[in-house]
Parts: sequence; C-alpha cells; structure tokens
Amino acid sequence: MTSIAIPRPAYAERPWILDWLMTVDHKKLGILYLYTTMFFFAVGGILALLVRTQLAVADNTFVNNDAYNQIFTMHASAMLFLFIIPVWAGFGNYIVPLQIGAADMAFPRINALSFWLIPPAGLLMFSGFLFGGAADAGWTAYSPLARGSGVGLDLWIISVIILGVSSTIGAANFMVTMFRMRAPGMTMFRMPIFCWTMLVTAVLQLLATPVLASALAMLYIDRNFGGSFFDPNGGGNAILWQNIFWFYSHPAVYIMILPGMGIISEVLPVFARKPLFGYKAFVFATMGIGGLGFSVWAHHMFTTGAVLKPWFGFMTFMIGVPTGVKMFNWLGTLWRGSITFEAPMLFALGFLSMFLIGGINGTFSAAVPVDFAIHDTYFVVAHIHYVLFGGAVFAVFAGLYYWFPKIWGRRLDERLARIHFALQFIGFNLAFFPMHLLGLDGMPRRIATYSESSGWETLNLISTIGAFLIGVAMIPFIINVVMAFLRPKDQPNDPWEANTLEWWTTSPPPVHNFDSLPEVHSERPLWDLRHGKTAH
Amino acid sequence: MPSTGKLRVIRRVNLLISAALLAIATISPAFAGWGMPDPITDQAKRIQDLWVFTLIIALAVFFAVEGALLYAIIRYRKRGDELPKQTHGSTALEIVWTSIPVLIVIALFSYSFIVLRDVEKKAPEDALSVDVTGFQFSWEFVYSLNDLGTNTDPNADGQISIIGTAAQEPTLVIPVGEPVEFRLKSNDVIHAFYVPNFHYKLDVVPGRDNRFVITANETGEFTGSVRSCAG
Repeated sequence: MTSIAIPRPAYAERPWILDWLMTVDHKKLGILYLYTTMFFFAVGGILALLVRTQLAVADNTFVNNDAYNQIFTMHASAMLFLFIIPVWAGFGNYIVPLQIGAADMAFPRINALSFWLIPPAGLLMFSGFLFGGAADAGWTAYSPLARGSGVGLDLWIISVIILGVSSTIGAANFMVTMFRMRAPGMTMFRMPIFCWTMLVTAVLQLLATPVLASALAMLYIDRNFGGSFFDPNGGGNAILWQNIFWFYSHPAVYIMILPGMGIISEVLPVFARKPLFGYKAFVFATMGIGGLGFSVWAHHMFTTGAVLKPWFGFMTFMIGVPTGVKMFNWLGTLWRGSITFEAPMLFALGFLSMFLIGGINGTFSAAVPVDFAIHDTYFVVAHIHYVLFGGAVFAVFAGLYYWFPKIWGRRLDERLARIHFALQFIGFNLAFFPMHLLGLDGMPRRIATYSESSGWETLNLISTIGAFLIGVAMIPFIINVVMAFLRPKDQPNDPWEANTLEWWTTSPPPVHNFDSLPEVHSERPLWDLRHGKTAH
Repeated sequence: MPSTGKLRVIRRVNLLISAALLAIATISPAFAGWGMPDPITDQAKRIQDLWVFTLIIALAVFFAVEGALLYAIIRYRKRGDELPKQTHGSTALEIVWTSIPVLIVIALFSYSFIVLRDVEKKAPEDALSVDVTGFQFSWEFVYSLNDLGTNTDPNADGQISIIGTAAQEPTLVIPVGEPVEFRLKSNDVIHAFYVPNFHYKLDVVPGRDNRFVITANETGEFTGSVRSCAG
C-alpha cells in the first residue's frame, strides 16, 4: 500500500480557554458548533414543551395570548435558525475535511467567523424577552402583521440577517473546500455522499440566503424608517413578503434535510455492509431536489389567490420523484445486506420510517384543492415535524452516535442509546401523529387555546404527552454523554469498520488530521483496503 | 401436498383480511369523512373526493415502502460473518423506480387540476353575494337586501351588516342550493376566511380583491366555525 505524506504545520501553544476562543481548527470549531446548536435545541425544546402545556387542555390559561405568540415564534426560530441549519455546519465542519482527506477547511479564519456570528445572534434574538417581549409574528413574520409588532421583532430581524451572513460565508467555504482540497484520487464521483449533500446544501444557501436578507432589510425599513414595501396603503404589496420569504424558506427546508439524508447514506452502508445502492443516482437526485426546490415556493401561498396554482402544484408533486428515488436507493442498500442494529443504525432506520411519512403527507398540500382545506391547520404542523423532527432530528442523533467515537474518542453506551431511541420514537409519533387529525378537523395552527366544544381535547392531550416523552428521551442521552466523558478515550481509528477517510486517522484526529492517506479508488477507500476493490 | 399448503395459506390470508375489514368496520364511524368534517357544499364534496383519492394512494405507498423496510430489517439482519454481495446499483431498477413516482404524480396532478378548475368556477351574474371584511379580531358580513329581494323599505340603503367582536362571533346565514359569492376584504393585516365544513379557505389580503363561490347543500348551524388567523 502506498501512502502520501502530509506536511505538518506548526501550531503555537496557548492556554486552554484561549485555545478554544481563538481556534481556527475545523475540528474545534465543529465541536463549538455542535455544543452551541445542541444548547439551542434544548432551549427550543423547552419552548415546545411550554406550547404543548398550554394546548394540553381546552380553555387553558397557563400562558396568555401575548406570551404564547412569543413562545411559538421563538420555538420555531430557535429550532430552524439556531439548531437545524447550523448543526449541519457543525457536522460539516468536523467531518467534511476529514472525509476528503484535507488538513482543514479552505478558509480557516472565515470558518471561525462563521461560527462566532452564531452565539451573539442567538443571544440577540432571545434578548427580546428582556425588552418588552420577543418576536411574536411567527417564524414566517408575515407582513403587514409583522410591520406592527414590538421591538423584539427588530432584534429578531437583525439576528436572522447575522445568521444568514454566517451560513452564506460558511457555504462559500464548504464549496471551495470540496472543490479544491480533495485527496489525490478522490474525483467528485468518489466523494463521500455526506460531502455531496453538504455541497448541494451550500449551493442552496449561497443562492437563497441573500434573498432572505433582502426581505428582512425591507421589513426593517418598513418598521423603522417609514417604508411601505409590504403596506398596500402606502403603495406596497402585502403578498410581496410571502413571495420573497418563501423563495428563501422553501429551499431552506432542503438546506435543513439534505445533510441529514447524507448522514443516513453514510450510516446505512456501514451497518448493512454494502455500498450505497445507486451512488450516482443518489447524487443526481440530491441535485434534482436542490434544483426543484427553487420552483415550489408558492405552494405555501395557494390560499392567497395570488399565485399560479397548477404550476406550483405540479412542481411540488414533482419534487416527490427524486425524494422517492432516494427512498428506494436506501431500501436497495439494505436489501440482501448483513444488517446490525447499533445506535447510529437505529436512528437511521427511524429516519427512513418517519421521513417517509413526512414525504407522503406533504403531497396532500400539492393537491391544491386539498391544500385549501389543510393550509394553516395542524395538518401542516404535523407535516413539517415529520420532515424536520422525524427526518432531520433523527439524522442528527444518527450522526452524533456515529461520529461520537471519532470526535470524542469514546463510544456511547448501546443500552442507553436503545432506551433513548425507543422513547424518542414513541414520543415523536404520539406528539405529532394526532396533529394530522386535528388539522383535518379544522384546528388552525398558532391558536393559543381552543374551546371545549371543539372536541380537540383528547388528541391535544395525547400530543402533549408525546412531547413530554420526547423530553424524557433526552435524559438517557444526556446521561450517556456525561458517562462517556468520564471515561478515558479508548476508541480505535475505525470502530465501526466504516468506509470513508475520517476513519483512517486516530480518534480523535491530530491537529493536522492525517499523518498519511491511503490511495482513493472509489467512494469507499477503507473498504477497498480491507476487502479489496469490488467491481462497479 | 403443496396444493393444500397453498390453500391453507390462502385461507389464513382470507381470515386476516376479514379480521382487518371487521376492525375497519368497527372503527369506521370515527372516520366517516376519512378524517375530514362533513362537507356541506358542492365544492367541499369534490375536495373531499380528491382527499380520499390522494389518501388511498398515500396509504398504498406508505404500506408498500414501510412493509419493504420492515421486511429488509427482519430478513437481512446479520446471520454470520460472510460478507453480502456488493451490489452497487442497477440502471434498470433506477429507471423503474423513477417512472413509478412520475406516473403517480401525473395521476394525482390531473385529478387535482380538474377539481381545482371546478371549485374555482366564477359566480353567475345574478348570484347572491356577501361582502366579508376581516379585522383584528373578528369579521363583518354585509348582505345586499336587493340581492335577497327583501328590500321593502325605500329609505334603507339596501344593506344589512353583521359585525362580530372578539368575544362574540358573528353569525353568517346563507341559503341552500344556490351559489353564493364571498368577496373578501381587509384593511389591516392578512386574515384567512375558513369554514372547516367548506373544506376551503381563502386569504383576506389588504389591497386584494379575493372572491370565492360555494353552493351549500345541507342545512344546519355551523356557527363558531369561522376562524381568523391573523398573520
């Protein structure tokens, strides 16, 4: 076996705390991203429990309307902008350079800037609670409503713009890294599938996020400098906000799910002991989802009466095709495999079974007349949670359990992981499945309470129980992580017998990542070394 | 004998199907509208048919894929140290499983397009109309008495207005069996006019003239089901 020697840069010794504050090492920044985003996941989760407590019974007065509006707005904002989107940047930061055999990201200082914009932006967004109330117009901040909301919304706007800057420069960094810094022999079509999904995500971020920034700037001008972009009384257009907002926010849904699909596509082949079925088809399907993602934004706006409904309905149905292709490729990967059920695999299979529902229940909104009935009801809340919790969050945990040995040098306990998975799986379905039925029966989203005569109490109570069960599911996970940190690092380079280059180096890797690299002949260089290359 | 074995399997499958049908029959009153409230307009009936059609396809896809997943998990769990055959993909299969969703998409789109065209038909010239104004936080309904043919007072301006408050929801009364046009107007923020039994909602957008038509086909009181969702 030949290997390529990597020159080692010199690193200055710094005190521990300064080392973390001033680091430009992609691995340390990745860990900072993961800690920060998991913190906001916890905050967003607590807000979700407040929402569910308020809705547990009819005519509840646990919180008042104003507080409720702030709570659900900040729940969604924290989960989307401060957890899901940056958590992928966290995984990407740590894993992408390792998977392509690079020593770091292309622009380490810009990388540090991307990260350090996030904590202050998060604090800014939440500081609204100290200044008369946080943002309360929903995470979609629909105008004209959002033109008249309190100062918390201004803080929210600035915060989201800063977060947008973070993900835009991060996206450029990921793209350059993957285009320019791959190991010798690693052609684009030998790049690990997680990298591919991060690449398509980066393209979406680069194209879509500036559009959101423009909408937010207009809203800020409307609110503070007498503008009337979104005010028909001043010559503006109330629908304009929705068009610009969703032009970003629908692609953003794929920004939030594609890297999760990438993680699943790393985990399934390792634990089924087969290559990913249809690697190239999978790459093209990812690009297809990314491209189609820009032509479906108005399916959020069918009931405005202001969009070309058949076109956006058709395109929305169409996006189910590449998604279906991916589902079949995942099944093809499992088929005739030799499957074991370690923690990452449990969460990956959880993803497959739940994201499937999130894909299917989205098609109802593409059938435009059915969307007239379910739009703005709890049916849509069910859909988004099957995609972003059943999909993205299950993938986050699959990734955490999978790469934990690499990142922290210890392996998480399997028994606690199984308890975590079982509780989360059951709690998730209890929490979100009843929302389909509530939505069909006409329960609008975002209402602070409902009357007893509506007949919605039982299903809401089940949903609340499920939400708390998800909260309980986090306890074995936290215990697991704490206990792992109390143990010494003992993990070999490649505890899972995995396929990709990050498992070639030590766990955790040295500062410079690799002392040597194997030759890359396929998308599974480590498999090739263990078993010899198999024909394509 | 293989034939009796096969028969036994068939009998067992029959038993399973009967048991499933019995279970569905028992719980079906709860799912009379397949999850939707009773449709009370002609348009709602069409939308409910589309919902049921989409739901049947969705359930078929769900059970097929979820079933295949469960089968793979059980059947292909690790049994020994032997490596499975390393299949990298199949162009034929990729073409097949790209085509199947495309066909499903064409079917779903075609049907939903037809229903969309029908439920959005414009009102006839002489249709009764109701002007609906949304505000924070209730509705105003204005009928023209001339439309109703009951304007007997020459001094009246020919309109009656029903204004609700946040505490007291206004009651809207419409006739059965004839098309009624709703004209939606807002002076503040975006509302949505939504009656769950219509299976229909339309946004009330400041600066936009949004209209829709329904033909009610069932009498009854559906008070309190008109909701606004400001934003």
